[in-house]
Amino acid sequence: MTDRASFLAAIRATPRGEDPGLPDRIQAPDAPTELRAGESPVERLVAETELVSAEPHRVARASVGEYVAELLRASGSTEVALTEDLAAQLVPIRTACEAVGVHADDYRVVATDRARASRLHATVTGCAAAVAATGSIVTTAAGAGRAGALIAPLHICVVEETQIVDGLHALFDGEALAGAGSLLALQSGPSRSADIEKVLILGVHGPGVVHLVIVGD
Amino acid sequence: MSVQEEVDGTPLPPGWSAPAHQPGAFELPTTTFRERAERTMARPFARTAIAGATDHAAELTWLKFEGVDHDGLRDQAKQIRAHAIANLPDYLEQWIDNAEANGTIVHFAADEVEARRIIAEICVDEQIASVVKSKSMASEEVSLNSALEGAGVDVFETDLGEFVVQAMGDRPGHVIAPILHRTKDEVHALFSEMAGRELPNEAEALTAFARAGLRHAFLTADGGISGGNFLIAETGEVMLVTNEGNGRLTTAAPRVHIALVGIEKVIPRRRDLPVLLPLLTGHGTGQQITTYVTITGGPRRGAEPDGPERTHVVLLDAGRSALLGGEFEEALHCIRCGACQNVCPVYRQVGGHAYGWVYGGPIGAVLTPLFRGQEEGGEVAQATTLCGACDDICPVRIPLHDLLLGLRRQRAEQAQTPRREQLAFAAWGAVWSRPRLYRASTVVGGAALRVLARGDAVSTRLPGLRRWTDGRDLLLRRGRG
Repeated sequence: MTDRASFLAAIRATPRGEDPGLPDRIQAPDAPTELRAGESPVERLVAETELVSAEPHRVARASVGEYVAELLRASGSTEVALTEDLAAQLVPIRTACEAVGVHADDYRVVATDRARASRLHATVTGCAAAVAATGSIVTTAAGAGRAGALIAPLHICVVEETQIVDGLHALFDGEALAGAGSLLALQSGPSRSADIEKVLILGVHGPGVVHLVIVGD
Repeated sequence: MSVQEEVDGTPLPPGWSAPAHQPGAFELPTTTFRERAERTMARPFARTAIAGATDHAAELTWLKFEGVDHDGLRDQAKQIRAHAIANLPDYLEQWIDNAEANGTIVHFAADEVEARRIIAEICVDEQIASVVKSKSMASEEVSLNSALEGAGVDVFETDLGEFVVQAMGDRPGHVIAPILHRTKDEVHALFSEMAGRELPNEAEALTAFARAGLRHAFLTADGGISGGNFLIAETGEVMLVTNEGNGRLTTAAPRVHIALVGIEKVIPRRRDLPVLLPLLTGHGTGQQITTYVTITGGPRRGAEPDGPERTHVVLLDAGRSALLGGEFEEALHCIRCGACQNVCPVYRQVGGHAYGWVYGGPIGAVLTPLFRGQEEGGEVAQATTLCGACDDICPVRIPLHDLLLGLRRQRAEQAQTPRREQLAFAAWGAVWSRPRLYRASTVVGGAALRVLARGDAVSTRLPGLRRWTDGRDLLLRRGRG
């Protein structure tokens, strides 16, 4: 069996190709995944969210709980899990859910019981960041868990306006990702496949419906 | 009530289990390119579907980068890849140190035999009876599925297209669209047989059928096996892109995650992703970004609510390090987006299977001889028109055209070309490098062609040139000479 030392030694023994060096870029690249000059991050996030077939909602902070509970009720979801990255919104959402007959449990508890996890109608998560130029929400193992955003057919993500970053450059160059834990994940709209004769199908292994609840003051 | 009956409220058919078919065997070296290509070309659907889908994908790619400095972005990407490969041992070492610090167990596979043995042994040690797999070309390279099945492990490919490929005993026909060459009717017949009842012949219903069974597999599998799109040196992480979400679930649901990744996938930093990621997804599917981008750094930690107990990463060399510092090093810059396939006039006609091994299109015509050797794989480097469309679209600017020419030259030098071809080119070279002989040859040749011509063209089957004149007329130039 090849060990680390002999594996690396074999690679080190090869001649070295030309090295063009690596610039320590501080500018965002000119790419479709960055904001254009003068664009509003929140407006671009709304537009990109629609382009990836998710549904954006702009909601005032005081009514987030009721708004999320109503989205769940209207979709017919009764078995719901909430993740810890909802932070200050966790209690208002749970309370509002109970008021409309939606049973909302902690994802941490549901995740230990696979039969129960497979019965979930929806999950509600927070996020570590949202990327305006790609319509992505960014979750972490420490926050929404690995599967919190995609275990159920419906995913609602609560995004604070202050969590929105311009593009991929700001995301990966910034501090948004500190303390992510063992997983850092971007998701942009519902799960999809066009494998069968190029017909686009939403909701393959992940959710078929995704809502972004964007919270501002 | 068992999980099986619960999944999505859809009862699973009693016979639903891991597809029993062995994956299709590699066809190299037992068949020729021509034989393989003819099989695809005899299926009108495959020809139309491959040409249509690749056209569409290439168009989406160009549209995606309208209004940005696409060339500048590609220059940056090329620089990052060239720098990473030029310093591969250092970045690998850094990646290994950081991955181990994250709790990842790192393994080293010098070749495909070792990769199969390592992963089979992990399955035994971890008491893994079934695995869910997310699409991985590296696992195709090492024929992992048959090794796992040989070790008694049930394997479920979870990418919808790969699942069909597995259940049919087929091989993927495109690096990112595995069943491009298959019809909905074929998928319908397959799934109806698995279900034991007639399913609706609609993509949505067929997808729902696969989802229900595969969700059950996700929730019950002991292991998840994936590839990796990038290894990030500064953090020891593995990055995966998927659209279906199967990649994420593979790293999330089972208690053990195993990733098999080629050593060339290493990149220095997370902050290189804003350059590489839009190129990978834009050139792969024409998307701004894939639905899921998953960056994992080891097993579940402390208070995290879910995730695997253990994470293994198997680093695969299998012919890669032999390319370092040499004429073909740039082949290692490839990020497996598949864009070169989409624009290749040969691939668009013959599809992926004609290349006989794992990779098709221009990058397949380069990697197959490099990884399988000239004797076994050299023929496919001829399967190009050298039009340069692949150079034009490559997101990391690999000079595929030059690499193909180099491989053809190497093949001729190693005398792997047919004896008749060697003699013909030697004679041609001798005659056309001497002015008098050259002039004489044009007189003799012109006269010969006029004898063979009907009207303005030679369309009879010329001895030795039959394959050429079978499909084309040789037009005569009227006038002197």
